[in-house]
Amino acid sequence: MTTETAGSVETSDSGPTSTGSRTTMILGIVTLIALGVLVLFGLILSPADENQGEAVRIMYVHVPSATLSYVGCFLTTIGSVVYLWRKSQWWELVAYAGAEVAALFTAFTLVTGMLWGRPTWGVFWVWDARLTSEAMLMLLLLGYLAVRRLAADYEVRAKRAAIVGLLLVPNVFIVRQSVQWWRTLHQTPTLSLSGAEIQGLMLFSLFTGFIAFTLAFIWMVIHRFRVAWLEEQVDAEGLDAAIAERRAEGVIS
Amino acid sequence: MSNALILAEATGTWPYVAASWALVLGGMGAYALVTVVRGRRLSKKVPSEKRRWS
Amino acid sequence: MIMLSDAWLIARKDLKLELRSRVALNQVIPFAILVLVLFAFALDPDRGLLEKATPGLYWVAVLFSGLLAMQRSFSVEAADGVTDALRLSGLAPAGIYLGKTLSVAVQLLVLEVLLGVGVAVLYGTSITGWLLLIATIVVATAAISTAGTLFGVVAAGLRVRETLLPLLLLPVLAPVLIGSTRAFEAALSGTPSEGWPWVGLMSVFAAVYVVAGIFGFGPLMEES
Repeated sequence: MTTETAGSVETSDSGPTSTGSRTTMILGIVTLIALGVLVLFGLILSPADENQGEAVRIMYVHVPSATLSYVGCFLTTIGSVVYLWRKSQWWELVAYAGAEVAALFTAFTLVTGMLWGRPTWGVFWVWDARLTSEAMLMLLLLGYLAVRRLAADYEVRAKRAAIVGLLLVPNVFIVRQSVQWWRTLHQTPTLSLSGAEIQGLMLFSLFTGFIAFTLAFIWMVIHRFRVAWLEEQVDAEGLDAAIAERRAEGVIS
Repeated sequence: MSNALILAEATGTWPYVAASWALVLGGMGAYALVTVVRGRRLSKKVPSEKRRWS
Repeated sequence: MIMLSDAWLIARKDLKLELRSRVALNQVIPFAILVLVLFAFALDPDRGLLEKATPGLYWVAVLFSGLLAMQRSFSVEAADGVTDALRLSGLAPAGIYLGKTLSVAVQLLVLEVLLGVGVAVLYGTSITGWLLLIATIVVATAAISTAGTLFGVVAAGLRVRETLLPLLLLPVLAPVLIGSTRAFEAALSGTPSEGWPWVGLMSVFAAVYVVAGIFGFGPLMEES
């Protein structure tokens, strides 16, 4: 149901005035097919787990989301480093797009993690090392996005955000390490989110989840990148127009 | 007895599964929609030679 | 070498400014003590909760009052075009960074000593494991001031800086809060061997931020 609404959006963006192109249209269609296959296998064909029951189906969307949230962070750090080094706007926009999409997938991870925890552990939230570090990741990403969306000149925003983005991956590592020590020092090793052994159709569903979510991630980053590029063009043009207007005023008076 | 309990547990988890999938797929769709709409609105303000992908 | 002498210059300037304006003395330190008193109001002092929670309360108090000191350290630079003057001064950006870090660290140390006395007196915490306590205070101060200075500059000169700095800094400092609290707990409970890994983790944190600050400060200073 939900995939269909996404479908009408993703496939109909091939018009001349949009962020779509032939490549992204094909990518969008492939993504939708992959998501359809994921729904088929994840919700219908794959069996329930012996220990987790039906809740194992949440894993097929939760685990890929978590992985891609980290991929997005790496993209942001790489983009920030190249921007600071080469002053390349292209990479700066990649960093921005990566961070925003990463924040989306982090939100998915947190929500699905909590919805998995309720039937499995009986509570929405436990101070599990992975859930906690994912929550910290969300806060770090929100910090980056807050700086990147400042109402200031492009140079100021981009450079300051790049410093924050540069430190994103080191921070994620340190936070993960500290949270892991913190939890393991105090209680028995945390409950693992992934099942002990996943095989057959369950493994295939998880694999499909990875493919479908990776495709969706790429599609989103490309489109978000183009929107960010357009935003900067409009910003710069608005400034140019304002300067031209002022100059014209000067000539008249 | 124990079978009935397992069954109740199994049906009890489905709402959580459904909610997870709906939120994730719905979230993706909503984000895609917002991005495309923003792109379309901004595209009108930018000359096509600056939109090198189209 | 020039970098270090520049750092010394900046640190001396900042500290002299703090000594003369007495903002830290008249506002930040009373605020820190106020936080300690508020914790006593919030948690029942009769049930021994305060003593048990001392490490956590202490470091939360340090973070919040340290945040005030850091805000202050950069609002000093934002006024009257001082930023431009700093840029024109020809001081090495890395030196400016290290200098500001040093002055923030000195202020934090003063704050931490006072809060330590406050905790011992107000919460009745008996203090043991001196070596680990001092090591923790040194590396945690280094970590907080290196990260705080870098993000302080990221937020400096913006209208939203008062709200932006906590949002940027507090999640980043979460490992330092965890680490320093656990290390203090280990020291106070007489099992210092559990605390040393945390000292190591915080040293790595501080090292990462020193490197990032030295290289990142140049681009940040030349902007706008």
